[in-house]
Amino acid sequence: MIFSVIQYRIVLSFMTRFWAAFKDQLIEEAAVGDIGAAIRHAIEPNILFKWQIGSFELIFSDVIVVSWIVMVFIFVVAWLAGRRREKIPSHVGQLLSESLVNLLLNLCQNSGMTYDQAERVVPFVGTIGLFITFTNLSSLFKIPPPAKNPAFPIALALLTIIYVIATSIRLVGLRGFWASLVFPKAMLLPFRILDFIIKPMSLALRLFGNVFGAYILMEFIYIIIPVLIPGVVGLWFDLADGILQGAIFTYLTIMYIGEIVEGAHEAEHEHQIRQSAHI
Amino acid sequence: MDKGLIALGAALAIALAAGAAAIGIGLASGKAFDATARQPEMSGKIQAMLLTAIVFIEATAIYALVVSLLLIFAF
Repeated sequence: MIFSVIQYRIVLSFMTRFWAAFKDQLIEEAAVGDIGAAIRHAIEPNILFKWQIGSFELIFSDVIVVSWIVMVFIFVVAWLAGRRREKIPSHVGQLLSESLVNLLLNLCQNSGMTYDQAERVVPFVGTIGLFITFTNLSSLFKIPPPAKNPAFPIALALLTIIYVIATSIRLVGLRGFWASLVFPKAMLLPFRILDFIIKPMSLALRLFGNVFGAYILMEFIYIIIPVLIPGVVGLWFDLADGILQGAIFTYLTIMYIGEIVEGAHEAEHEHQIRQSAHI
Repeated sequence: MDKGLIALGAALAIALAAGAAAIGIGLASGKAFDATARQPEMSGKIQAMLLTAIVFIEATAIYALVVSLLLIFAF
């Protein structure tokens, strides 16, 4: 809580510097001659502020500012949508948010969770999906999307895999989690453990590669043909691809949890069958 | 190091991976259309499975994209 308040104040005090850096970048890009240098400039993180603490270096780049803006935006929109709750929804906010939650609940149930389990998974998963979607959509406003900095997707993927492990232990218990690891044969255990290293890597690389590739391509198009074409190509690379990446991240997170829950369930079922056969 | 060779390596990396991923996605979606034509009532489930498969196939192409971007910008 205290940390977030401090961070928020730092972000506020550096907002002006952020806008100055942003404006300088726009002006520089308008008068650019060398394409390679321009792209290299575009992929460098905009460092607003460095803070030396001993041997550590805290770096505040545009990633932090953009993600905090998105967080405030999501908070305000969600607050407005959930302010007046009625039993029979009449305004758009409640309808939209209810259908979004319903969609996620259905997705969870399709991937092998019960309704109660799905209800406990949806808040985190929906939040992370909305966050990724809206941060990717920031490239619509010519603000570099935070996911082009590899630190952002790596942090999200680590958080997600920790959440997947913790929440599946909470849902099926430690015994169920172990049973899902060794379910058909105990021989699979090393591969299952390796999976927990590969999954966050593939999540992070997928998000980073897609957003970074789209960002570089859009920068390239903005430099060589700045008229009309970026609007058409941007429909896919800024709008659709950003939403798709958020949806895929959410979908995969749900699938990872559902896999463990279903594995535990099947192992339990097998165990019961074997017990009844003994009797 | 020679700039031209790096560019060639980056181009080869993404080209081979993209070709292979395209073949993979083509095979998967072709089979999915086949299955949908045989059993139209299963189309929802087939679509979800196809989406999952395509995400995993596409991931390989994305790895190659990251590698080629690293080749271009990190060296």
